[in-house]
Parts: sequence; structure tokens; C-alpha cells
Amino acid sequence: MSETSSPSYHHQKPPFYRDVTVVKWLFQLGALALVIFALWFLSSQARDNLAARDISTGFDFLSIDPGINLSEGIDTRPATGGRALWVGMVNTIRLATAGILFATILGLFVGLARLSKNWVVNKLGSVFVETLRNIPLLVQILLYGAILANLGDLRFDSGWDNWVIWSNKGLSVPRVFIADGFYQWAVFMLIGAVAARWAYNLRSRLHDETGQNTYPGFASLGVLAVFAVIGWFIHPIFGWAGSIFGGIEDGISKIPEEALQAVLSILAIVLAVNWIRNFLKSRRTPGGAAQLTDDDKFRVIFAGVGAGLAILVVYVVWPGLSSWMINSSSDLFGVLEDKFGNGRTGGPFGVDRPEVIKPGKFEKYGPSGLTMSLGFAAVFFGVVLYTAAFIAEIVRGGILAVPKGQIEAANSLGMKRSAALRTVILPQALRVIMPPLGNQYLNLTKNTSLAIAVGFSDLVQVGQTVGNQTGKNLSVFAIWMLFYLACSLTISVAVNFFNVRLKIVER
Amino acid sequence: MNEPTTIKVESRPEETSRTPREWIRSNLFSNIPNTILTVIFGAFAIYAIRGLLGFVLSGERRWEAVATNMRLLMAQGYPANQFVRVWFALGCLMALTGLSLAAWKASGRLSTTKISIWVMNTGVGLALFAVLAPISPASRFGWIIAAAFFLLVGLGIWFGLRGENKRPSGSVPTVWFSFGFLGVLVLSLWTVPFGHYAFVEGELVAETGRTVAMSTKLPFTVMWMILVGSYFFGVQIRDYIPTGRAKAVLISLWFLSPFILNWIVLRDPDFDYGHIASTDIPLALLFILGGGAVLYILTKPELGEIGRIIAIGFLLFAVFNWIAAFFGWYSMLQKVRISFVLLALAALIAPNFASDRKTRLRFVAAWSGLITISHWLITAVNSPSTLELQGPTYLGGFSLTLFVAVLTLLLSFPLGVLLALGRTSTMPIARVLCTGYIESIRGVPLITILFFFSNILPLFLPEGMEIAELAAIVTGYTLFSAAYLAENVRGGLQSVMRGQYEAADAIGLTTSQRTGFIVLPQALRVSIPPLVGQAIGVFKETSLVAIIGAYDILRIANSVVPAQTEFLGVKREGLLLVSVIYFIVAFSMSKYSRRLEERVGLGER
Repeated sequence: MSETSSPSYHHQKPPFYRDVTVVKWLFQLGALALVIFALWFLSSQARDNLAARDISTGFDFLSIDPGINLSEGIDTRPATGGRALWVGMVNTIRLATAGILFATILGLFVGLARLSKNWVVNKLGSVFVETLRNIPLLVQILLYGAILANLGDLRFDSGWDNWVIWSNKGLSVPRVFIADGFYQWAVFMLIGAVAARWAYNLRSRLHDETGQNTYPGFASLGVLAVFAVIGWFIHPIFGWAGSIFGGIEDGISKIPEEALQAVLSILAIVLAVNWIRNFLKSRRTPGGAAQLTDDDKFRVIFAGVGAGLAILVVYVVWPGLSSWMINSSSDLFGVLEDKFGNGRTGGPFGVDRPEVIKPGKFEKYGPSGLTMSLGFAAVFFGVVLYTAAFIAEIVRGGILAVPKGQIEAANSLGMKRSAALRTVILPQALRVIMPPLGNQYLNLTKNTSLAIAVGFSDLVQVGQTVGNQTGKNLSVFAIWMLFYLACSLTISVAVNFFNVRLKIVER
Repeated sequence: MNEPTTIKVESRPEETSRTPREWIRSNLFSNIPNTILTVIFGAFAIYAIRGLLGFVLSGERRWEAVATNMRLLMAQGYPANQFVRVWFALGCLMALTGLSLAAWKASGRLSTTKISIWVMNTGVGLALFAVLAPISPASRFGWIIAAAFFLLVGLGIWFGLRGENKRPSGSVPTVWFSFGFLGVLVLSLWTVPFGHYAFVEGELVAETGRTVAMSTKLPFTVMWMILVGSYFFGVQIRDYIPTGRAKAVLISLWFLSPFILNWIVLRDPDFDYGHIASTDIPLALLFILGGGAVLYILTKPELGEIGRIIAIGFLLFAVFNWIAAFFGWYSMLQKVRISFVLLALAALIAPNFASDRKTRLRFVAAWSGLITISHWLITAVNSPSTLELQGPTYLGGFSLTLFVAVLTLLLSFPLGVLLALGRTSTMPIARVLCTGYIESIRGVPLITILFFFSNILPLFLPEGMEIAELAAIVTGYTLFSAAYLAENVRGGLQSVMRGQYEAADAIGLTTSQRTGFIVLPQALRVSIPPLVGQAIGVFKETSLVAIIGAYDILRIANSVVPAQTEFLGVKREGLLLVSVIYFIVAFSMSKYSRRLEERVGLGER
């Protein structure tokens, strides 16, 4: 320590190039400039290159006939590029939904098996997990695809008596489908759900008052079942719901475009102002005045600039936005009017069994049973088995994470094993399980993109084909990104919703 | 006398030894539901094993498709007359492994109990195989004898070495056991006729050079001898050399080995010695001497602020060189540009080494080594290869898989750490940029990124600049895995206590010193297990390069072998083999990561 440190030491400002704030901002602006420069450079190169190759960017290919055939989907000969991508999206969503459902069930069982005290069950679970998660998913998908492709030809006696049929045409099971009366029935079920909720509350209040076991869960399920059965027969009485939607449709289409633009701009301003006000409030010191650091000022400026940009988008960049919003929402209600219309009197669901009419041919591809094509089956088994192995580990970890004392406490209260599992162990385990489980759902959704390896028409495969046909690979890539980001957002919102519900309520 | 307080290590409770009968009763038939479970799932297990064995051993399986194409699967397209280079590369890795095992004093020991249980389990497995496999009675008898042999050996170890508490005592070093196991595998190449179908009446029928089992037994034996030999050599000399330095040398050799083995040994660059003598060596000397002198001056402790200003000047100059190259203002060798960037980076970290003469000289020596090696590698990469290739690249099959995985891991590590630091920093723009990058990359599937880099990247490149398919793949894969790696590192960074930052600030460390010497070492230590998990993931997902047209092991098994006229449509065998290979590597890595997790003591500190 030097004894001669001058008293003015504390007032001595460091040179500007050693001032932390200055250096920090210089560095950040430099980085931003570098990124912007790189993007500008690359995009200008891309523009030149595309011009040289006589390819135009943009999304006009969405409305042009791509001239491709898809292996399967809601439309195997799509008329426009947009339609083709939409078919791919539907296929991806189908695959991901079915995959998530079955992987969760299988993973739950395998995870419980790994906790079993029975040696055989335990070891089977371990072998399942260790094998499947250490083999790459793509290898598994190709292997399942190769095995399925070697199934026998379709004959009258393939499979079990027209319930489950397997052959190199695919795997078929009876198909349950939404029939004409479904939407009206759904309205009936909505009322049923309200009634069930009411029954639940009633029974639990009774339980709280008398201490008797009143089974609120079973009671509400019973109410719901009664409604489902009655609704099956009398649902056409809800035919009038269609006219309500028709009214909404008319109302929306009458909204002037300028009004919506104004509302959107005001909304952006209000949001920004509100955010800034809350932010400033949170930075307020007990003394009263807000203490703002450089970063804080920067954020406030960003919020303001964001609102300005939003208004710019509404009025200048994309003036069609508001009319698009008006049109699409009135279209949506038009569709609903049609679905709820009076003419629909069939049952809510129908069932169809697969039927072989001659060797190598089903009765009709569409209505005869639910046929999983080989490509779909390969990817489906791949993602289900692979993800189930990971989910099993998550479930096991979650249950092991419940402190042993909790189980012992439940036992000492005299709870039955099933009751302890339901009311003590699982609620606590779910809290640990939920976040990584959501991550696995995301992975599964992204992994369905490997369908391209077996030629199943998912979004990536369709996009790749369309991109190669039209040369719009860049636009297709943007659509891929948006779609998968939307999927990620949807899943994380859903998982977060459950997470919040499951959180320990703290004071 | 004051007794030192001993921490009582809780040892495992003495396992109550049970008779097999008790074990079976408590684990399989403890009550009625349990018995039902055992019966149902036991039957299911037997059915599954039978089905699997039936599938593998069925007469329809054509395993010769795999055996014949083993070379294709492992190192597709590498010229047969140059194959010794592959073996040389493998030998180098073996020697490094052996020396590292010796230097790090691999001291794990396997208890004989465990070994005897393993041997007995092998016997039980063989017995199950003999009973369930669809094979002829004569060979069934042979398998039963083999099973009995293993069971007898296991029981012999158990009862021969039985000490107190009814189990065998003593242990064997794990290294010896592993060497012995590998030795048995190598020995099996000499004794088991893996490729015997190639001989009909004593003559080699299959095309020459395609069956591998016959031609690899000698090289594999040599590999084993190199491994064992280098280990015992290392053990002999490790007491005479400073261990720390030996470890440092070995670590740098490990880091260099992928580059040197790939670009020098496997690629065999055709050096133009005239050009090297006239340009490359003088250039390297210039940078070593000039750069060394600059760095020696910059590490002067009394230099202070001027050193930093000079370093920033160097950095601006180095960046300007690249900008100038884009606009073609003046020409400069690529190597010189890279060297200036390296010099600028070295100058930036130079103040951290401002100390006595010895430290400064060591810094300069490290600089000379860096320049020597990087110039050597750059020259090698820029020289044409001497190999006569059929395909676009000399890498293919499993070697391509390994190359992509290793290079991706090595390159994405620094990038991932930088992204993680950016995401956790207090600088808003940097944070937004890094977060946006990480989240948008993590939001999309790998395959779309790979498509982007193989299809769309060429559109973004300047006129006349091309990128090789493999380079595009590795670039895309690196950028992808860096985002995931960053999240793992971020977890580690968040586990570093605030007090560590404050302490570093209190003793007056600069931000870079605090990050490099205080925060990162602790953060990385915590994130080792997830990083190993990430490495397994990267290795597994290397298989995706097959979709975009690279000839990795999966693509060869899935589309090259089934297209050969002899093996038309034979797909399942190759895919099963690929599954097994991936499984072995990934499974052993995950076992290792579990042990590592115990060793770094997560949750204990």
C-alpha cells in the first residue's frame, strides 16, 4: 500500500478508453455493427447471386402450382405451394401429437417399471431405456422402415380379423372420425363440463363439511358421461348456434379498416407507456426519484422505439395487416357457422374398420379404417420409442426426487398405497417432471423432421421438394423456422400453464 | 492428546448375503401380484429374445453383406494402397491413449467379485442363447459347452479366491482387465473365422481387397501391442520426468491429433518444397521473431495502458485486413491475415502475463509454437492431396462420422462458451443478440440447419468463393451445437456464487481476468457432465449428415450396400450393425459420464 495516495485519487476520472461504461457501449455497438454489416453483406451477396441465377425471392410460390405429388396427407396433389406446405404442416402436427401421446404413456410405464422391485420388470425397463436412447433416432427410423418394408403383401388373412391389419401397405386399425353432428355435440359437452364442475364443487363441499368420502372426481366424470350419452341423441337441438356465428361474421366484416389500424396503434402506445410506467415504478427508490442506470435508460428507449416500429408496421410496412385480420377472422366465423348449421343431424362420431376387398387392396383408402403408411409408422415408432426412453428416465428421476419422508409420512397416516401415490407422491414428482418433459415434447416435435429419411411428407420433406422445384429454398427455410418456433412456443406455453398450476403455493 | 476430528465416512451397510433361493423369493415371488408380473414379463422377455435371435440368425439374413463391406463402412473410398495411413493414424491414437493412461496413473481397480459375476453372467447369457436360438442341435451342444465353461470359470474365481464374508477378495487393476479383454478380442480375429465364407475349397472367392477380417488381424494385433506397449513404457518412465509437463504435452497432443492426423497423415498433402523454402519458412520466421519481439515488449509490467492501446491497434489492423480483402483493396496471403489476427489476440491477453522474465519468455515460446503449428497446418491444408480418390473426399463411413463429430465438438466449444458469456453478461445488446441466436437455433430441427448450409449457403457467398460440402456441414453443425452447448455452460455459469465475482473485483482483477481465471474454471467444472451428455448427442446426431448426401456409415449401410448387385436390397443387416456401433460408443460414453458425475462430486460441494 502506498502511503502517498493523493486525496484527489477518488475524483480522478479514468481515461475514456478505460471507463467501463464507455468501453461496454463501444464494444456492444461494435458487435451490433459487425452483425448488421455481416447480414447486410450476406444479403447483398444473396441478392446478386439470385439475380445472376435468375431466381427471385419472395413468397409468390405459395400461390403457384408446384407440380408435386405427396406420399400422403389431406391432399396428395396440392394445387398451390402454400397448400403443399399446409399439408406438410398437418402431417407434422399429426405425427407430433400422436407421438407425444404415445411416448408419454409408454415412458410413464417404463419409468415405473424401472422403479419396480420385481427383478424381471426392472431389468426389462433398464434394457429398454439403455438400448433405445443410445441408438441415434435416424438409425432407428431407417431400421424400422426397413423392417416394415419387408412385411408380407396384403392378403385377406393379414392381421387380426379386420381389426388390426399389417402388411407392406401399412398398418391399419379401425378409424374413429368426427362426423356431422360433432360440433353441436361439443356445445352440449361444454354445458356438461360446466355441470360437472358444479357437481365437483358440490361434492367437495360436502366432503369438507361432513368428512365423508364423496368421490368428487368420480361424480363429475359421471355427470360428464351422462351428458355425453344424452347429447349423442339430442344434439341437433343446438342447430341455432350457427346463426350466432353468422351474426358475428357479419359484424366483424363491417368493421372499417382505419378503425382497426387506429386501435392497433393505440394499443401499441398504451402497452409501451404502461410498460415504461411500471418499469419506472420498479426502479423507484424509497426516496422517491427513480434511479436509472444506463441499461435502464436504454430499455426505456427500446420500448418507445418498439411501439413506434409497431405503428410503422401497421400503417406503412404492411398496410394490409388490418384488412387481413378482419377478413380472416370473419372467415373463421363463417366456417363455424357452416359447422354448426342446422342441416347436420348425424352422430358426433363414426367408426370404420379396415376391410380388404382383394389381395393387395383395401376397400377404399379414405373411409376404410385408419391406415398408417409405412413412412408414418417408421417415424412414429422411432420417435415414440426414442422419446419414451428419455421420458422414462425423467419420470424415474422425478419420483426418486420425492423425499422418502413424504412416503413414510403417508404410510404412517394410514394411507393406502394408491392414495399415497395419487395424493402425495405424484403431485410432488410432477413438479420435477414437468419442465424436462416439456423439453422432450419439443425434441419430439423437432425430431419428426427426420421423416424425410423415409419419404414421409412432413413439413421438411415437402418444403425441401417445393424449394428444389421452385428455387425458393430461402423462403421455405423462413417458413420452417416460423412453424417450428410456433410449435415450440405452443408447447412451452402449455407446459408453463401446468407448471404454474403445479407450483407450491407460497405465501 | 487432542484427537484430530475424523470425519466418519459412511460406508455402505454390509450387504446381507442371501442364498439364491432367498433372492429369488424376495425379488420375483414375494406376493401374488409380483408372481403374476414375473410370469407375464418373464414370458414376454423370453419371447422377445427368441424373436430377436430368430431375426438375427435367420437363414434369410445375409450377414456377409456387412462382413464384405466392412472396409466400405469404416473408411469408404480411402485408396487401398494407402491404407497403411489409416492404421498409422489409429496407432498414434493408441500410443497417446496408452501414454495418457500411464501419465494420469489410471488407478481404478476391479474387484474379483465383479469380474467373477461378469464371467458368470456371460455364461448365463450363452446358456440362454443356446436354449433359445434357432440353431442346429450340434451347435446348440457347442454353445452349451461354452456356457458351462464360462460358468465354471466364474465359479472357480468365486470359490477359489473366497475370503471372509463369503465373497472373493482382492482386485485387479482396471487397465489390465481392459487390456486383457481387448487382447481376447484381437485373438478372436486370429481364431474365429469371421470372413470364412470367402473361402470355398481353400480358395479366396470374394473379390480381393473387399473382405476385411483376413486383412485386419495383423494390423489390429499391432494396434493392441502399441497400446499395451506404450502404457508400460509410460509406466516405466513416468517417475523420471515431471508429471505436470508430461500431462500438458499429452493434452496439447490430444487437441492437435484430430487436425494433424486428418490433414497431414490421412490427407497426405503434396508439399511444394520450393515454395515452402522461398515463402512459407521465411514468413513463419518473420512472425515468430517479429511477433515474439512485440509480445516480449507488450508483456513488460511497467508498460501499463500503452500496451492495451497497441493491442487494440493491432486488432483494428487485423480486422481491416479482412475488410480490405472483401473489397479487394490490396492483396495479402490468407495465412498472413490469420497470423495478424492471432497476433492481435495474443497482444490482447499479453498484459495477463506481465511478470518476470521467465514468464514472458514462456509466453513468447508458446507464441512461436502456435505460429509454427498453425503455419504448418495451413500450408498442409492448402497443398493438394496425393491420394487418388474415387469420391469427392477421402473421408467416408465411420471415419467421416468421427471426423464430423470431433471437429464439431472442438469448434463449437469456444463458440458455445462465448455465447453463454454473452447471454449472461450485463450488456443489453450483447445479451439480446446471444439470446436471440441461441433460442432461434434451438427452436428449429438440426436437419433444416443442415439443409440451409448445404443448399442455401452457396447463395450467400461472394463471387468465386466456394465451400466444400463437408466444410458446409461442419460449419452448420458447429453453429447448431454451439447454441445447445451455450445453454449447458450457462447452467454452470449460474451456479458460480456471486461472492466469487465480488471477490475477484475486490482484488482488482480485470473483467477478462475474472472471467478466465475465476468464473469459467468453476462454471466449466460444474458443466462437465451435461457437456459429456451433449457430446453423446452430437455424436449420435452426426448420423443426420446422411440425409444431406454425405457418405457416412449410415448412408453406406442404408443406400450404398443395398445398391450393390450381389446384395441388392440387403438393408436390415447393415442398419443393425450401425445401431450396434453407435450403441457401443454412446453407451460407454454415458457410463463414463455417470462416473465423472460422481467424481466431480455434484451436490457434494
